[in-house]
Amino acid sequence: MSHIITLEQLKKTLADKISSGAQVVAPTLRGELAFFQKIDDVNQAVLEPRVRFQNSIKEFFFPRHETIFSFVRQGSDVQLVDAPEFDVEQIVVGARPCDAASLPILDPLFAWDYQDRFFQSRRAKSTVVVFACKTSDAHCFCTAVGGAPDSTNGADAILFALDDGSFEVRCVTDKGKALFSGKTQESDKTGAACAPPSVDFDVEKIATWIRGNFASPVWEEISYRCVGCGACAFVCPTCHCFDIVDEGSYSKGKRVKNWDSCQTVLFTLHASGHNPRATQGARQRQRMMHKFVIYPDKFNAKLCTGCGACSRSCGVSFGVRPALEELAKVANQSENN
Amino acid sequence: METELRNAIRKLLEEKTVDVAIGYGRVGVNGAVGATFVTNPDDVDRLVWNNECRQNLATHLTRAEIKKLGKPAIVVKACDARAVVVLCNEAQIKREDVYVIGVVCDGIETADAAGNKTGALMGKCLSCVEHAAKNVDLLIGDEAAAKALDEKNAPNAKSVGHYEKLAKLRAMSQKERFEYWREQFSKCIRCHACRQNCPLCYCNRCVADKNRPTRIDTSSSLKGNFAWNILRAFHLAGRCVGCGACAAACPAGIELDLLNLTLANAAEDQFGYVSGKELGELPLIGTYSPTDKEEFIR
Amino acid sequence: MENIYMPDPMEVVEVKQQTADIKLIRIKFRDPEKNANFKFNIGQFGLYSVFGVGESTFNICCSNSKDYIEFCFRKTGRVTERLWDVEPGDTIGFRGPFGNSYPMKEWEGKNLVFVAGGIAMPPIRCAILYALENRDKYGKITIVYGARTVNDLVCKDELDEWAQYPNVDVLKTVDVAPPEGTPWNGRVDFVPTVLKDSNITGDNAVALVVGPPIMIKLSLPILVEAGFKDEDIFTSLENRMKCGLGKCGRCNCGSVYVCKEGPVFTQADIKNMPNDY
Repeated sequence: MSHIITLEQLKKTLADKISSGAQVVAPTLRGELAFFQKIDDVNQAVLEPRVRFQNSIKEFFFPRHETIFSFVRQGSDVQLVDAPEFDVEQIVVGARPCDAASLPILDPLFAWDYQDRFFQSRRAKSTVVVFACKTSDAHCFCTAVGGAPDSTNGADAILFALDDGSFEVRCVTDKGKALFSGKTQESDKTGAACAPPSVDFDVEKIATWIRGNFASPVWEEISYRCVGCGACAFVCPTCHCFDIVDEGSYSKGKRVKNWDSCQTVLFTLHASGHNPRATQGARQRQRMMHKFVIYPDKFNAKLCTGCGACSRSCGVSFGVRPALEELAKVANQSENN
Repeated sequence: METELRNAIRKLLEEKTVDVAIGYGRVGVNGAVGATFVTNPDDVDRLVWNNECRQNLATHLTRAEIKKLGKPAIVVKACDARAVVVLCNEAQIKREDVYVIGVVCDGIETADAAGNKTGALMGKCLSCVEHAAKNVDLLIGDEAAAKALDEKNAPNAKSVGHYEKLAKLRAMSQKERFEYWREQFSKCIRCHACRQNCPLCYCNRCVADKNRPTRIDTSSSLKGNFAWNILRAFHLAGRCVGCGACAAACPAGIELDLLNLTLANAAEDQFGYVSGKELGELPLIGTYSPTDKEEFIR
Repeated sequence: MENIYMPDPMEVVEVKQQTADIKLIRIKFRDPEKNANFKFNIGQFGLYSVFGVGESTFNICCSNSKDYIEFCFRKTGRVTERLWDVEPGDTIGFRGPFGNSYPMKEWEGKNLVFVAGGIAMPPIRCAILYALENRDKYGKITIVYGARTVNDLVCKDELDEWAQYPNVDVLKTVDVAPPEGTPWNGRVDFVPTVLKDSNITGDNAVALVVGPPIMIKLSLPILVEAGFKDEDIFTSLENRMKCGLGKCGRCNCGSVYVCKEGPVFTQADIKNMPNDY
């Protein structure tokens, strides 16, 4: 016995949430491209499984730009005003399983030792509904990093699109159950995800190679084509590096947290002029190490869900999958030697 | 053409005329085309030439990692060749320090959201009247065919492709136009892919990265985004060659090529200036002529 | 929930100019209760704010027995250029203390060798001040400190004070001889040369070495030759940081986060870390 929800019922469920004051985030079309956005009207949402979105739902847990506090100078004293805590219910619907999977990966980062309330309050207030994948493309490699087209990691509920336009609903958590309770009908129809994307490289083997080859010239060689922008990091659901900057004037302003990328020259540049990662090769190495060595060492999870957003967005046809494929060649070679 | 290109590059590398060839190869996911760097003459078969060669490779000429490889040969389409000319005119490279291989290009196809080619030509290609690269050391391809294409496109060049979009933009009221760019810029995530992929954004430290003082907000707030995108467009005014590398690289799909075209078009309309046409040409901004329209010049 | 990025407002109590571009600033929490309860370990660092300008990372360079915090900086960037202008009574921000610390307890009963170059004196000063305050707990103390010129020496007056303590050798040196007639009671040599001449031995001793990479590189073989083991040679790394909390992702050397597991490392630790500093 399964539970199904029609598209109309799903829309009504979301519309009711919007009118109850919740923040609903759903895929929308801007021009021909799909973006996750906060919607005011449920008809803005494009409720169908898709492979490509221009942004990750990460943005609604770890915004690209967020005020930490504001300040006003009064004579020689400074008044600090804390940023308001995120305090509305948030429903994120339509994410790919590989996008939602980043959330439990990022949880320990924002909670080890120091507790980052900005991420945590959004997590606590959010319900995440994923759509099981119906298609994959050549950029997808979730299977290489433990994911699947019907993975429920990070999801509170997973919806399987059925041929008649309705969805089979499988609730994963109490939050998911609360959202769909009373909204579904029992049925004997069941949905299924597409076949898992195929990969012909072994991430563990590559990680072992990375661990032992910090000084390899391969890093420079594979990075010649990288032009050092932040697109891969900013579209990545797991990349979480950030900058802290002050905005406004000396007398009145705010401190903000902005997304940052390890691919830029400035990321590690010291005021003295020294830069520990002075070349693009060193910066690509950092990115791959962070994903497949450092984060697993620290938090027992790969910092990659195999979503392929990086390579889809890269202006020079690079990204994690092409990098892994290049590294697999050298890893296999060194294993055979 | 591809074979001819590979042979030419093999010879250049064998004879040590150049140390590295910057060309296109199938380097990305599912054979997606991207920049490829060949230093060994035996590796020239990695190079390709087809209508998926979207990138402007001139971007790599000024990157420190590539300069370290020695004297380059570079494969350029006509639009990319204009960027090489501007780099020379702006003293970023010396023309004799680079071997420029032009290719005859009959248009580059756009890619869809999945990265597959669509069969439709890029906007800049629909209005292209320069199918054979100029100011090159070697041209590969049929020059006569290129000329025929130039002539075919010439009559409608200013009304099709991205000029069609420009006309639509011009027809908008000021308020509508502002709304249009507000929507476009609100998508900006400040990844600076536009800048990093632009051959003419070679500044050692971009004004967006300067913090003593900070001139524009680094945040991807609407204010920061407006400041960044307008500032970049103005810095490219009279310089942009219309290669479209910025728009092609933008992960948010912002129509940056259209933004830059508004200024390039103004340069052409007002001053008859087309960037990157001639080696040795003075920059539009930073020079003046008694024939300039403004009274104060005289 | 608490905001971990929120600094505390601090009152600037004293500003001491050290060189043409180095100042030492003493600050106190504006909140007296916080000031009374603040604790830190020797070698930890803080993040110091000029509101509206930004935040910068510096070691807390005083001893932890005081009711204030001191830090020292060189005017080189956006934040330090504005810090240069602060005066007593002004308000700046502080977050911390962060990171690990020098094992001052474990060092008890041992001889201490401090080696510093230029602006790297402050991260060693805290340990020197602590050791002098607890003079009977430590053996012989040797301080080798050098700068490019006499005018580049930080904590110049204190060096002579420290030399007054029993069983403390202060070996000052400059790379460039001062102009004729300038009073100078130190040497004209590079730090490693002075270190080599200092008759130190690694027996029951630890060394703390902070300074420019070239000074560290040339000092290490001398320490090894004197019998110091990698585990007994300490340093403090200064990777660029933003959060200080192990989150912003830029200060790491491989899997080691300098802001969390550092900034204090032994030579043995460093040998196991990728060269990313």
